[in-house]
Amino acid sequence: MRVNNDTLLNNNLSYQNKKKRFNIISSRFIFLIPSLVFLIAFTIIPIIMIGVISFFSWALINPMKFIGIENFINMFKDANFWTTLIVTFKFELLTVPLTFVISLILALLLYKQDRFSLVMRGFFYWPYTAPAVVSGTLMAWLFSTNTGLINYFLIKIGLSPVSWLQGSFTALLTLSFAQVWGLAGFMMVIFIVGLHEIPQELNESASLDGATKLQIFRYITLPLLRGSSTIVLVLTISYSWNNFTLMYIMTTGGPGYATTITSLYVYQLAFTQFRIGYAAAVSVITVVISIVIALVSMKVLKWEA
Amino acid sequence: MFNIQKSSFLNKIVVMILAVIFLLPIFYAISTSFKTMGEVYTYPITVLPRIFSIEGYMYVFQNLNFLRIIYNTLYVSTFATVITVMITTMGGYAIAKGLFKYRKAIGNLMIMTTFIPIGITLVGVFIIVKDMNLLNNLWGLILPMVFSPTGTFIAIQYMHSIPDEIIESAKIDGANEWQIFSKIIFPLSYPLLATLTIFSFTWRWGDFILPLVTISQGNLYTVQLGLSYVEGNFLLSWNTIMAYALLSLALPLILFFLFQKLFMSGITAGSVKG
Repeated sequence: MRVNNDTLLNNNLSYQNKKKRFNIISSRFIFLIPSLVFLIAFTIIPIIMIGVISFFSWALINPMKFIGIENFINMFKDANFWTTLIVTFKFELLTVPLTFVISLILALLLYKQDRFSLVMRGFFYWPYTAPAVVSGTLMAWLFSTNTGLINYFLIKIGLSPVSWLQGSFTALLTLSFAQVWGLAGFMMVIFIVGLHEIPQELNESASLDGATKLQIFRYITLPLLRGSSTIVLVLTISYSWNNFTLMYIMTTGGPGYATTITSLYVYQLAFTQFRIGYAAAVSVITVVISIVIALVSMKVLKWEA
Repeated sequence: MFNIQKSSFLNKIVVMILAVIFLLPIFYAISTSFKTMGEVYTYPITVLPRIFSIEGYMYVFQNLNFLRIIYNTLYVSTFATVITVMITTMGGYAIAKGLFKYRKAIGNLMIMTTFIPIGITLVGVFIIVKDMNLLNNLWGLILPMVFSPTGTFIAIQYMHSIPDEIIESAKIDGANEWQIFSKIIFPLSYPLLATLTIFSFTWRWGDFILPLVTISQGNLYTVQLGLSYVEGNFLLSWNTIMAYALLSLALPLILFFLFQKLFMSGITAGSVKG
């Protein structure tokens, strides 16, 4: 009887819930509306527009002409498009692990709460507040072939100077250095917060049991840094993902297409060659890849609202 | 990893070496900005200026419309930040404490757009800004940027940390939804508001891609657009370019030193546990 009663009560409750109509104010949905309006107007609608325009030939001044999937066919035959896609992933593959490792090392060096650590954290953090145009400009000058400080030091210690931004691989490496330089201090703070959350007793009892420092790091510190690692990975992946500012400033995508990431290619197609329809088609592919990366990140790293 | 109080001597040496590497770009920029035009191009280079000169800075202020450009950037950053802080705080509250269906799905969709930066949607955003007649208009730089996925993520996490009981008891006391938000949630959110403000301001100060495609009139340039123009101008000497770069970095740097604690408080990470 008791069970029946409960079921009755539950049914009654869910019935009431269903009957209670969605109220925009008491459900607090109203507070979400401003964010949603901006999200829809400047992210969702642009994506839809890109999708539509990708089926047209359009140079902004002349009328749009429907050409079906011709843009996509051209894209798959376009060697430059594939190059830019590979460059985009190369840049991620260089910057994400580097940022992760360097920021973790910095955090391990500076997690203590003494005066030295507190002061030094600022020295590594401030580049995060430097806009990409500024850091790109500083780095282009630092690494310039004849007038750069880096080559000056190389010559001083008896090495030959390197044309950093003129070689395909060194250019990508220099860009990665600039990116890591900008992000590492910020990610370091996230790791430090994570390190502080690890209970001290864990480390102490492990060391009493005879664990080495390396073992403690491997089996206690690293697993307990999961939360911070997730944030660091997600933020680093997304910061390096198709923000072409550094490339625009430091190399304009060169030499050749060696540092042209896909978004820079889209920019060139749309705003210097005025091939809007084709640029939209390339954007469609990039949006699809972005969504896949985002979904995988959310699943694998358990990163969610 | 054992005592939290003191860094070892070896630690300090390694940290100092790394710090020197991290400071090289700005050291060389400052040094160059105080050289004369002639000294900038001597070979081999001079590490420190032989003759101390402010001609680079003079040139920036006299010939490059710099004050107008700073005004434009302040205008964009300030208005964008005000709007961002308002909508993000409300949005985070709605996702974390809302009572409607699919709010978690909507929240996930919002923070997912972290991976869809302006570089990817540029063509679409450009057309919308153009259709709104906001090309060559500072509001064309503000409106598309005010929704911030990262800001929303921080706000949602922060709002989760506010106990439901506070809201419930206010409700029992007869407060309506707007009063709950403005009288209870808002005052509890000062740390969030401060974080969102400094982050949003720094982000907007550094925006480049949108101004690059929507602004063509020189008197509407923002400081990053101005710097990119200066950097690519072969007629300008690098002492001028470095002076420009350092001046456009000055405000974010001052903000950082004033609010260092807030920047590094880890509010971005604190609420995310494994």
